[in-house]
Amino acid sequence: MTEKKLTIKKPRGKARVLEGKCIACGARCESSCPVNAVEMNEAGEPTIIENKCIGCVKCVKICPAQAIEMFFTAEEQKLLDELMKAGESDDSVDEEADTLAKLLSAYRGVWVFVEQTEGEVAKVSWELLGKGRELAAALGTELSAIVVGHNVGELCQESFHYGADKAFLVDAPVFRYYRTEAYLKAVCYLIDLYKPEIILMGATGLGRDLAGAVATVVGTGLTADCTGLGVDDKRNLMQTRPAFGGNIMATIMCDKFRPQMATVRPHVMHMPERKGIASGEIIRVSCPVIEGDILTKVLEVIKDNNGMEHVDVAGAEFIVSGGRGMMGKDNFKLLQELAHELGGVVGASRSAVDAGWMSHERQVGQTGKTVRPKIYIACGISGAIQHLVGMQDSDLIIAINRDKDAPIFEVAHYGIVGDLFQVVPALTQRVRDMKQAE
Amino acid sequence: MLVVACIKQVPDTTQVQIDPVTNTLVREGIPFIVNPYDTHALEESLRLKDKFGFRVVAMSMGPPNAEATLRKAMAAGVDEAILLSDRVFGGADTLATSNVLSAAITRLNKTEPVGIVFCGKQTIDGDTAQVGPGIATRLGFTQLTLVDRIINLDLSRKVIRVRRKLEGRHEIVEAPLPVMITVVRELNRPRYPKVPMRLESANSEVKVWNNEVLKLDVNKIGLKGSPTWVSRIFSPEREKGEIIGDGINDPVGTAHLLVDKLRSKDLLAL
Amino acid sequence: MIPNTTLFASLLIASVVLFTWNCYRRYALVSIGQAEDRSQQLGRRFRDMFVYALAQTRVVKGSFGINHAFIFWSFLMLLVANVEFLISGFVPALFSRFLPESVHHVLLLVFDLVSLLALVCVVLAVVRRLFFAPAYLETSYSSARSREAFLILSFIAVLMLAYFGLHGAQIAMGREAAGFWLPVSGVFAKALAASPFNSSLEAMAAGFWWIHALVLLAFMNYLPYSKHMHILTAIPNCFFASLEKPNTQPREAFERGNTYGVESVKDFTWKDLFDSFSCTECGRCQNACPAHTTDKPLNPRQVIHDIKVNLLKNGPRLQAGDTSAEKMVGEGYGRILPEAIWACTTCGACLQACPVMIEHMPKIVKLRRHLVQMEAEFPEELLNLFENMEQRSNPWGIAPGERTKWTSTMDVKTFEAGKTEYLLYVGCAGAFDSRQKHVTVALATILDVAGVSWGILGKEEKCCGDSLRRLGNEFVFDRMAKDNVALLKEKGVTKIITQCPHCFTTLKNDYRQYGLELEVIHHSEFLQGLLSSGTLRLNRQVSDLGALVFHDSCYLGRHNDVYEAPRLVLAAATGSVPGELERNRDNSFCCGAGGGRMWMEEHEGSRINLNRVKEAISSKPGTICVSCPYCLTMFEDGLKDLQVGNTKVRDIAEVVAEGMRP
Repeated sequence: MTEKKLTIKKPRGKARVLEGKCIACGARCESSCPVNAVEMNEAGEPTIIENKCIGCVKCVKICPAQAIEMFFTAEEQKLLDELMKAGESDDSVDEEADTLAKLLSAYRGVWVFVEQTEGEVAKVSWELLGKGRELAAALGTELSAIVVGHNVGELCQESFHYGADKAFLVDAPVFRYYRTEAYLKAVCYLIDLYKPEIILMGATGLGRDLAGAVATVVGTGLTADCTGLGVDDKRNLMQTRPAFGGNIMATIMCDKFRPQMATVRPHVMHMPERKGIASGEIIRVSCPVIEGDILTKVLEVIKDNNGMEHVDVAGAEFIVSGGRGMMGKDNFKLLQELAHELGGVVGASRSAVDAGWMSHERQVGQTGKTVRPKIYIACGISGAIQHLVGMQDSDLIIAINRDKDAPIFEVAHYGIVGDLFQVVPALTQRVRDMKQAE
Repeated sequence: MLVVACIKQVPDTTQVQIDPVTNTLVREGIPFIVNPYDTHALEESLRLKDKFGFRVVAMSMGPPNAEATLRKAMAAGVDEAILLSDRVFGGADTLATSNVLSAAITRLNKTEPVGIVFCGKQTIDGDTAQVGPGIATRLGFTQLTLVDRIINLDLSRKVIRVRRKLEGRHEIVEAPLPVMITVVRELNRPRYPKVPMRLESANSEVKVWNNEVLKLDVNKIGLKGSPTWVSRIFSPEREKGEIIGDGINDPVGTAHLLVDKLRSKDLLAL
Repeated sequence: MIPNTTLFASLLIASVVLFTWNCYRRYALVSIGQAEDRSQQLGRRFRDMFVYALAQTRVVKGSFGINHAFIFWSFLMLLVANVEFLISGFVPALFSRFLPESVHHVLLLVFDLVSLLALVCVVLAVVRRLFFAPAYLETSYSSARSREAFLILSFIAVLMLAYFGLHGAQIAMGREAAGFWLPVSGVFAKALAASPFNSSLEAMAAGFWWIHALVLLAFMNYLPYSKHMHILTAIPNCFFASLEKPNTQPREAFERGNTYGVESVKDFTWKDLFDSFSCTECGRCQNACPAHTTDKPLNPRQVIHDIKVNLLKNGPRLQAGDTSAEKMVGEGYGRILPEAIWACTTCGACLQACPVMIEHMPKIVKLRRHLVQMEAEFPEELLNLFENMEQRSNPWGIAPGERTKWTSTMDVKTFEAGKTEYLLYVGCAGAFDSRQKHVTVALATILDVAGVSWGILGKEEKCCGDSLRRLGNEFVFDRMAKDNVALLKEKGVTKIITQCPHCFTTLKNDYRQYGLELEVIHHSEFLQGLLSSGTLRLNRQVSDLGALVFHDSCYLGRHNDVYEAPRLVLAAATGSVPGELERNRDNSFCCGAGGGRMWMEEHEGSRINLNRVKEAISSKPGTICVSCPYCLTMFEDGLKDLQVGNTKVRDIAEVVAEGMRP
């Protein structure tokens, strides 16, 4: 610790931008620079003012795209090489890191928020218990389920079947319906008491509503809509998610704050096997939330396809669409059956609408609705550009068409070349059988 | 009563591509647009203005060139546009962003009470859906996300009733003002700007508030105030189109193959 | 004979004053309109006036047009006779006194025979209106059997009969020295002399004189109140006809404080208003209009009529300085339904059909300009189009980066001045539409084989903005046009090949307003040049496409007069002249996609493309040939909808490419 100081000062070098690598992330480098040596242009790309740069490496570290590097003049490089030879090692002890580590170590455990609506659990919650199990194992800690609601005690037991070690239960009439204020208070109360290091929620409407509020109150980082999760050697959660409309993937870290929060996209994590015999500890927490404090009232919950006055093609998660190849109005029944099994709706191409087979509100395309479902099944649709622009951003496109050269196959992820009048009923039957088998 | 529409300038992500050779983001010539969800937030503010005569303020946090986004809002008919821009705001994640936005709204609230803050459900570049809830929580406004219909605004009782669009269901919710509402696309059809308004907006003033105005703790904004950071980016694996089975000779078998494939990839939750 | 001069003089003066006053009132109404310079190129204007008005070239093209031409030419000649007649009320026997006898005699003979001709034509016209009226004479406001039509026809008939009666009586009384030169009147003279009234010939002559005089004055004064105003306005209307291609709408100045397009009737130009007084209600535009033919609410003739009605209704208030005139678009008498405004395909058939050169379609675009730019009111579907154009410079909103995807299968150069001669302006359909991409590849292959030096703009290319302009979104068009013109200038482009008639006309005609003058060539012309010069030799004669028919694109044909090139290309490729559709060349029928209709729904009436496809397949062709991406889409869609046979649709470039296969 008291080694002799070298008289030669270690050269620090200058930062420089690597061409073509910047992604215009939002001026992170500019913000990180302590001496205002980074300037942004109109396109959101940095220029480094060399004579201002002090070589602190902050911008290099912060750049998510590795678009900034350090460079040294030949002289500096020589010095560096000499220092290297002299066995100089970077021995500066990061005291900051130490205190931070101590602070963070107060938080332990992986939590999964079990999302339920009127006692019915969103499947993503079980998927998250599966992933949470892996994370907890990697961290050598416990996996807990957070169950909030009214008369939802049995969900704790259910969560043990899916892998939870423990369940925190907040059960009171005030939590009957999801309301941000009430659930926010409950979850924050639990965090305050039990200090988890990771909290996972489904990236559903409810999950994202709650997570955003909780993270703000707790003052911690939250990563949305993750599709991949892992932990590094410093117990930090590596959260991977699509950005720029899915054109790039980004790994997000929250290494200086706890808990680390993430919402996770449904259907991405593997659904764990439900264990036959399982048990765990249920911790009942009574949370000081009273009805009088909650200003929001849920007046009605309407299940879709049930009282909704018109078909919502634009917002549907599964769409089975038919085109000219349907040959007639009555044949759309085939699509209706498949859509029903999938819990989706029937859409149509412009020609099917023009032919009077379907109503205009179901039309997908340039002059109809733009849709972005999880699965889009195009049946007997050739894929004219007018149609493609309305559905090509769907997460998964399946095309069924007799013509193997139909342009629809150019955008489809999966294609079946064949007679839709044979294929579609077979699909419906298969889906139905699988549902019954469960 | 004041209505605030929070809007963001975003790159047109449909035009973002990955260079197949260098594996980097090709951003050349990619235009900035108003985040599509925010245009619906803006539209709903203007509809309330048309109906009740509220004053509408459009607000955006971003670099100086985000002014263009606010000009579009002015062309659509907002009364005032405020750009929150300062280099110390840069590099912010959602937590730091909501801090700046809510501080600006609080500042507005001092001169005229803010009744409703509208935000888009999420942005197309970040897709987080977190800034809206962040603003609501910080301001102590009731949070109503994913609203697809405003059923009623009762000014005498100061209560708003909306419909929220959730997975497989809708909820009718009532809450007292002030509220923060995030909107989905089904809520409305944004108006098309009239040419005289466009020309007018080119000359209107866009106010710029920096941190000298907002006076926020620099450790709570921008990069420093952001708990999350991007450690790595990479291109996603592209799924190539795949023709399944032999649909002509074995339609049933092919259908089974497809369903099994979807199941194995957890794409079908049955 | 001398009538009661005082009585006649007072009647004449009163009629002339009334007529002049009415004409002035209409002139004053027309002058409410905005300024527009229609005085350039007087030589061409006189020529147009002669060709279209005096020579009646368009009138005679229509069925029964020749009948009108005869009445018109008779009318012109009898104008001289009638002036003499009116003066004869004061100074009798003007001609016989002042003209050499031979001239006088020839004139008398001509007048006599022409009067008979006019009478016969009038009778034919009556018979036609009564028994053989074509459907297009009917509208909401007028019919083949309208009282007005018969009134005018009977006026003319009475004038002719009174003329014969007067001269017949004179001859019978032996007062007409030149009776020999009036053969028809001579017949009347004999009849009168043989009639029981032969004792009162004097009174009859006076009676015929007065009938002739009164009907003439009544006729004159009836003109301003009726469609026969065209007798006064048609000739000047042809003189002031647009010299520009009619699709090239004028630019608008985007400055603060301006208004855009036509809101109320005062926003039209004086020429627009003058048009409304020139309509003859012949119904030809209505008959040619694809929207009207397929039962859409648009009728170009009704549009012109509504402008006139609106002007008559609101004009006086506007003249009094009250600017709160009723809007042109809306419901009610003298107003045009928005659905009608949006139904127009801007195909220009109405302009082509009009015998008096009325410009219907540009008025519709002006109304659209107001709706889009001042009211932001337009069919819902267009919002997508407008935003896509502005944000991504193509109608579908596809990422501009995908513009060069079609080049993946071949080696395509980027245009570079000095290194490449021609710019191939691929166009949005050619770059993005999977079907039209085949045409692009075919054309590109041909260019390469023919050794043409060409290149593309690649990802820098933007939509030409055709749809925007025709839809009235001039503001966005203006921006795109400026950008494109700047880009083309910067790149040093001098020769452009287009494969889309819409790009073609926009680059060639519309951009000229932005100071861009360059050689724009549609691929049909270019291919024809390559084939006829022998630069391009085909390996085989195309025979596997069956019998070919060719469909004229509106924007290539009617708007730009390119009719022969595509036919010659097909003839060269197949060795035989392509078949014609019933409606062809300048009488061609739109596919239904022009004027921005491509981006709209077609909810009302029957479908335009089906109408045209049915016509095309009536001769059971193997292939329908087109020269436009819109037509290609509309025909292929139509054929699929009708589910008929194996008729194919091919662009002419694809047919040529077929001939290049070994």
